[in-house]
Parts: sequence; C-alpha cells; structure tokens
Amino acid sequence: MTTNLLTRMSPKSPVGADGSRNLTRPLIYLGVFVVVAAFAPYVLPESRQAVAVNVLIIAMMGIGWNLMSGYGGMFSFGHAAFFGIGAYTDAYLIVHYNISPWISLFIGAAIAALVAMVIGYVAFRYKLRAAYFALATFAFAEMLRLLATNTDWLNGTAGLHVPLLTEDSWSMLQFGANAPQYFYIGLALLVVCILITMFYLRSRSGIYTVAIRDNEEAADSLGVNVMRVKLTTMGVSAAITALAGVFYTQYYIFIDPDIAFGNAQSVQAITPAVIGGIATIAGPIVGALIIGPLNELTADWGRTPPEFLDFLAGRSGLDVVVYSILLIIIVLVLPKGIVGSIRHWWRQR
Amino acid sequence: MRKRKFVTAVAVALGVALTATACSASGSGDDVIKIGTVHPLTGVNAGDGAQLENGAKLAVRDINAAGGIKALGGKELAIDPGDTKGSAKTGQSEAQRLVSGGAVALIGSYQSAVCANVAVVAERNKVPYLMDICGDNSILENGYKYTFRMQPPNSRFGASTADYVKAVAEQAHRPITKVAYLHENTAFGNGVSKAFAARAAEIGLTMGPSISYDAASVSDLTTQIAQVKSSGASILVISGYYRDGVLAAKAVQTVKPNLDAVVGAADGAFDQPQFPTDAGRAGNGYFDVNYHINDKSKKGQDFVKAYTAEYGDAPRTGAALAYDSVMVIAAAIEKAGSDDPEAIRNALGKTDVTPVVLSDGPVRFSETGENLSTLPVLTQVLDGAPHVVFPEQFATKQIVFPAGPGR
Repeated sequence: MTTNLLTRMSPKSPVGADGSRNLTRPLIYLGVFVVVAAFAPYVLPESRQAVAVNVLIIAMMGIGWNLMSGYGGMFSFGHAAFFGIGAYTDAYLIVHYNISPWISLFIGAAIAALVAMVIGYVAFRYKLRAAYFALATFAFAEMLRLLATNTDWLNGTAGLHVPLLTEDSWSMLQFGANAPQYFYIGLALLVVCILITMFYLRSRSGIYTVAIRDNEEAADSLGVNVMRVKLTTMGVSAAITALAGVFYTQYYIFIDPDIAFGNAQSVQAITPAVIGGIATIAGPIVGALIIGPLNELTADWGRTPPEFLDFLAGRSGLDVVVYSILLIIIVLVLPKGIVGSIRHWWRQR
Repeated sequence: MRKRKFVTAVAVALGVALTATACSASGSGDDVIKIGTVHPLTGVNAGDGAQLENGAKLAVRDINAAGGIKALGGKELAIDPGDTKGSAKTGQSEAQRLVSGGAVALIGSYQSAVCANVAVVAERNKVPYLMDICGDNSILENGYKYTFRMQPPNSRFGASTADYVKAVAEQAHRPITKVAYLHENTAFGNGVSKAFAARAAEIGLTMGPSISYDAASVSDLTTQIAQVKSSGASILVISGYYRDGVLAAKAVQTVKPNLDAVVGAADGAFDQPQFPTDAGRAGNGYFDVNYHINDKSKKGQDFVKAYTAEYGDAPRTGAALAYDSVMVIAAAIEKAGSDDPEAIRNALGKTDVTPVVLSDGPVRFSETGENLSTLPVLTQVLDGAPHVVFPEQFATKQIVFPAGPGR
C-alpha cells in the first residue's frame, strides 16, 4: 500500500483497492474456486456436509468482517450483532409471518446495514478510535444479546425454532438431511459476498475506504467525506454478515440469543480473516477452510489417531489446543496471514 | 502480478483439499447395534456430561451381560460417543456424524439449545432421539415425531413445586404469607418460574418478588436475598445451577431472612450429594423438587452400587436418566424385533421398563413425546445428605417443616 495516495484516490484510476488493475483475473480465480468447491458434496462423505456448510458460513462472516476491519481499518469486535440480526430476522419472519428466507436475506441485510450505520455514526461522532471503537462494537453486540434475552416477542431465552417442513422446498429454503442444495445455496451466497466485496473495493467509496484507513487526515484534507465513506463500508460489511446469519438459521433451524449475539460469534468473524490474511479477498476463505474442519479433524484424531499421534487417543479438547497454537504461530510467524504472507513473499522475489 | 494471483488460487485449492482430507470415513460394523450419545464431554458442563455418558455405558454393559438383544439372536449394543462441547452447532454435526455412521437411536444432550439442534437432525433422518436431560418445553411443541423426553419438562417442575409447597405447609398448619422467587435468567430459570407463578395463581398462593440473576457471572446473592427479606415472604423458591445454589445458601445464612423454607424448583444444587459438604451448615433443611433416583427400590440401589463401583463417584440423577434412556431404547428394539430406527421409534414406551429414576409406573410417552411416568419428588437436606421426604410413599426420612433455613 505504498502507492502514491493521489493516484490511489483518483476515481478515474482503474486500480482496485487491493492493487490489481482489473477484475478479469480475480474473476477467473473465483470461477476456478467455485468449480473446485462444487465437487465438495461428491467428495465428502454425507456425515461431513455440516462441516462444509459451516466453512461457508464462517467464510461469509470473515469476508464481512474483513471489508470493514481489514480494508477499512475499523476494528470490530461485535460482528455478532449483524450476524444475529440476520439470524433473528429470518427466524422471526418465518415463525410469525411465514415469509420466505429469500426475502429475509434482503430484509436482514437492510436492517443490519442500518444498525451498523447507527453504531458507526454514534462512534465516529464521539471520535472513538482503535481499541475504544472495538469496545463500542463489542458493547453493542452484548446489548443486542441482552435485548433478545429479555424480549418476549423474540421468545426470550428459549429462542426460536424455524418450523420443520416435511417436503423439500426451494421457496422456504429448506431441504432434507444432507441435501446438497444447502451447500450450493451457501456457495452461491459466498460468491455473492465475494463479488460484493470485489466490486465495492473498485468503487469510489471502496477506494476512499482504503485511503482513509491509510491516512485519514490526508483523505479528509483532499475533500473525501470521511464519515459517509466509513458508514457505507460498515453498512456493506454488516449486510454481508447478516446474509451469513440468515443462512445459518435456515441450516440449523434454531436460534437463541447466545448463539446469535454471543461473543463466540464475533470471534468467528475475526479469526478466518486473521489466519488467512487481513485485507485480502481470498484470506477469509482460506482461514475458514482451516478453522471450519479443525474441530472435526481433531475430534477424529482423538477417536482414532493416526500411528504417530497414538498418545492422543481418547483425549478431548484437542481442537482448542491446536486452534490456539495455530493462532499464536500465525500471529508470530505470518503476521500478514497465510494469503498475505504468500503474496508478500511473491512480490519480494 | 500474474504469479501472485496464481499462488492465491493454489492456496484456495489447497484449502479445499484440506477440507477433503479432514474427513475420514467411519467404518461401521454390522455386528453391534449402535446407540449414539450426544453429550458435553468437554467444556463447562463436562462434569454432568461425563455422568450422563457413564450412565449410558452402564446400561449397555448390563444389557450385553444379560445376553444382548434376544429377539435379534443376542446381538450386542454399543455406545458411539459424540461430544457436543456444549455448542449447538457441534451437537448438530456430531449427531449427523453418528446417524451417518449407523447409530439407530440418539440420546442427549443436557443443554436445551443443543437439544433443539439434535432434534432437527433426528427428525430429518427419521431416527429416534431420547432427551435424557433437557427441560425446555418448546422443543416438543414443534410437532416433532422422533424426539422424546425422559425428564419432566420445566413447566411440570414449576407446577409440582407449587403443589408441594402448598401441601407441605397445610400439613404443618403453617399459613404461607408470600412466596418469593429467585431464578437464573436463561430458558431454564425463566421457564420454571413462569410455570410456578401460573400454578400458584390457580391454587391461591400469594407471590412476592420474582428476582432473576445471571448464573454464569454471579458472585454474590446477598442483595437479592435482602430484597426477599424486606418483602416479608415466608417461602423462597429458587431455580438455578449448582454454583449459584451454594451462593444462595451462603447469602441466606448471612442475611437471615425470616423464612419457613427454601425450596429449589429443579434446582441444580439442593438435591446433590455434595451440596451439604460445600454449603456446610448453611444448607441444612433445604428442599428441592427434582427427579431423583428411587432409593427405595432394589433397582435403584443396585444402580447406585454399580455406578459407584465402576466410576468411583456417586451418580447424580442425570446418570440414572441416561441409563433409563438406553434401557427404554433396548426394550423397544427387543419388542420390535428389529434395529430399524422407524421400528424402534414405534415401539418406544410400549414396553415394561420401570426406570431407576422415581416414577409413576413404567415409561410411557404422550403424543408429543413427553414421558408420562415422570414424578418429581421433594427432597430435603437432613443429617448432611439429601433425602426424599414427600410424597409420603417414597419418603426415606421424616419431613422437617418449618425448616428455618440459614439458622
């Protein structure tokens, strides 16, 4: 990101915020990724479908977080707020009005974007920066959790069950056990999230976003409407995360305040981007591919360890250990994350 | 530039490959009948999870020792364990793994949020799921056909507690001025307290303040108990977990409200064997309305002996519920003469399994899947251990009322 700020800021410049000249190549890679991923339901055993879908959900959340916090530099510790809004919108509208999840995708995303802008406005209005901003987002997610806990029309602590259908239904986005449709719909949503990010970063607002991250004062002095750009980025980021929430509810059928707005959900949005590479398009996806299966993989080792890992037999909690070690290694050795470090090394050659 | 993007693509492809290798096919032998357990074996609830798991293992051991499933030529049972880690998401994927691996029935899962997700897996795969511990009423209000509950639902605890409080007070000719309620603020505490209040209104008990707290973060309950004291209530009902139950007992000892009794409604502390040790004198005379092992029956005594010998730890009632769950499934397989999940589901509760847990006859299920034979009983801490004191036909000790808690 050492390019001259002025060139980066000129709206006529075709340079995207991630430094690439045009979209052709990234789109080709995206196509390759989709084709490879499309084979997953055929390659994976049936019992692993949940893991694959989980990877897609984590990746979506990571992409959402990455846009605001990676590209935008506004560190969020409360993305559960937007995930939960999506999840609850879907559940509430189905339970009470039998509204199709396809519509909830839009409504949930809109509400989340709106809430994000309100949070952003309040935070920036009072000049919250860095850690204080992160704390504010965290507090907001927590506030929504308590709100959901004590709201009777959201069923309070008991949570909401999406009515289970006996027949597969495209319109209600519900299918039988291990139906590959879930994976493909999830993959399609993931692609939508990636495309939104790609195009947003090439829009004027997206280019300004990165400029503001790199030097807010300079951008401001050159006449960029900092507040508006920041709020837009937060809105888009929240909308993407809400899509993950809607899809989560449709797949898991049940949502409660802790699942929707809990701290774990916020962390789940951060880690894939950090492990894969902050401010890279592929980063959150790579991160999700590592974090998603970790739980099952280590549980398998615990149950039936490979030869050289015999001492692990019958131990549980292994995933937490591996996860922690992985995080520490990544942060110490690859501060740019996996994709970021590979890219850096490639440039150095 | 071109090379860099290429590397990104390779990294993505590698990631996909990684996911693919992360999957090992679970071999399923056809020589045993597999029952999947979905309990929290790690995390904050691992203690109770282990108890449930051990109870299920003990049942399998007993059935196999008695010659397996006779209708299927002595075929043996086996437990296929799953670990929910206390997370609904993990519970869902574990349940799916077990069903795909050939489990013909599931039991679990201790937390209501996890149960809700496992129930969905059971419904979609048409495999029976017996909830050993899971109090939340709403799970069985979805019209599920394959999900059954062994324990009484939260609402039943609330209603029974109100009935017992009234009956015990009338027996002792002590009028009740007001009933104060203290409960933790998740689905469990909220559900039980709502049901209590509804029943109290029906039978004419006057309600005092209803105070909630966060069980996960609470470190002191004296403020709440002071509120109870100033309300002038003569009975305090509490629904919480173990750690906060001990805190409540200590707070009552400190504040010394003028109470005739402290009564737990499905409380996780007051009927536990270790509670008198942890609370000391503060826990004397505490009541609890809960499911309880039938200490009077030979079956119950044998279970306690066998469990203690095998695992070196006194069984909590949860272990007994898991034991009973496996027994009910085994009896259904026996009756159906088949280990087909659909056949098992149809035979559930149509057999003669008298549970280890105190019950009103053999296990039967309602249309919605509730266990009709459940019987919450009133226990009281007397001489340093909880004993059943009411209803009288199950009592192992004479009831002490007013109990004068904290004095």
